Amino acid sequence: MDCPTCEAMVDAYIDGELSATESSAFETALTGCPDCRRRLEEARAMSGLLRELPADPAPDLLRARIERDLRAIAARPRERMRWMAMAASLIVALSIGWVGGSITGRGGPGEEAFVSTYLRVAASDHPVDVASTDRHTVKPWFAGRIDYSPPVHDLTSEGFPLEGGRLDVVGGRKVSVLVYRHNQHRVALSLWPTAASGNTAPKVVERDGFTLAEWRHDGFEMHAVSDIAPNEMAAFAAALDRATGADR
Amino acid sequence: MVDALKPDAAAAARFRAVMLPHLDAVYGFARWLTRDPVQAQDVAQEAMLRALRYFHAFRGEEARPWLLRIVRNTWSDLRARKGANDQSLDVVEDRAAEGPDPEESALAGDRRRHVAAALAALPAESREILVLREIEDLSYKHIASVLDLPVGTVMSRLARAREKLAVELRGRLGRRDHGLPDV
Repeated sequence: MDCPTCEAMVDAYIDGELSATESSAFETALTGCPDCRRRLEEARAMSGLLRELPADPAPDLLRARIERDLRAIAARPRERMRWMAMAASLIVALSIGWVGGSITGRGGPGEEAFVSTYLRVAASDHPVDVASTDRHTVKPWFAGRIDYSPPVHDLTSEGFPLEGGRLDVVGGRKVSVLVYRHNQHRVALSLWPTAASGNTAPKVVERDGFTLAEWRHDGFEMHAVSDIAPNEMAAFAAALDRATGADR
Repeated sequence: MVDALKPDAAAAARFRAVMLPHLDAVYGFARWLTRDPVQAQDVAQEAMLRALRYFHAFRGEEARPWLLRIVRNTWSDLRARKGANDQSLDVVEDRAAEGPDPEESALAGDRRRHVAAALAALPAESREILVLREIEDLSYKHIASVLDLPVGTVMSRLARAREKLAVELRGRLGRRDHGLPDV
């Protein structure tokens, strides 16, 4: 074996990637090649240094976060899974038929669109684009990103702390989405201004394991989706209306 | 966000049994890629979620390389999203200072710190391949699958990475205690 060959084999040798035959050929060649012996020593020493580096185990917090994700998935009934896939195709259909349309008019986006918004919040590790419980951080964040300024309120005292905000596309239009937390659950609230006047009472319905609410308040169309109970959703809507009312 | 195939309770249970034992490796690799303990947790969590989502495509090959490949892809996606800003190295410089054994000699602790810093200072391409080989102890074949490279490229890249690390180490360690012969 000539030296270039032997040299090229040093790494593969210490990495245990040579066959038995190749290994013994290499070892034989090594005896006559001090350069390659030195190279081998060096490679071994370096490998030893790296292997003695202490390894940090995964932190408990990370383990807990992953366990929580797994439990959440295990708790979801199968039926809903199929429904979610269906919702995905529906939203595609809606977007195609609805690009450029006004979402304040008739034929607005269906419930599926809002559930999809909720899923983008709930199933993502990146639920919000701006994370803050401070309305004075969240509200200005929307400026320049959408063409209206949504009312933003933290509802911590009512049991629904504000988690942040994000943008979503609903029915072909960019809308603001506020994300609230309720215990381990999230509420995704999509809202946009409407020309229609007058307030309506929140209409709370259950669909395939999700709870949806829609209502009109103070010139805004509100659509909230979560996996909380209907009475909790009603409490959320009421708390939000009170906070908006207190603004004026 | 909505995939055609959603994991169910049975899949979650299998995932827990097959993949969760490798969480330390997932975190460790993420730690070396990001060089930041907080970012490493985010990458590891996102990678585990992705792994769960793709778990239906897992065909019973070796779990650890399969997961590490997802970690690596997750990390490059996040990095691309954030505009590829590489983390400052301050965090890592201190990292190996605390050895697991309190009895450890200061000298060994010192050497580890230098080695960790030298590895952390390498460009990502060299760092990841050295971690996979020396710390995760993966074969060339598995490294090739994690990095999505032909085995020949793994070999040449590994050789280059070792040369770079040797240079770094010589710069950081005195001649006395690194055990590396001079060239």
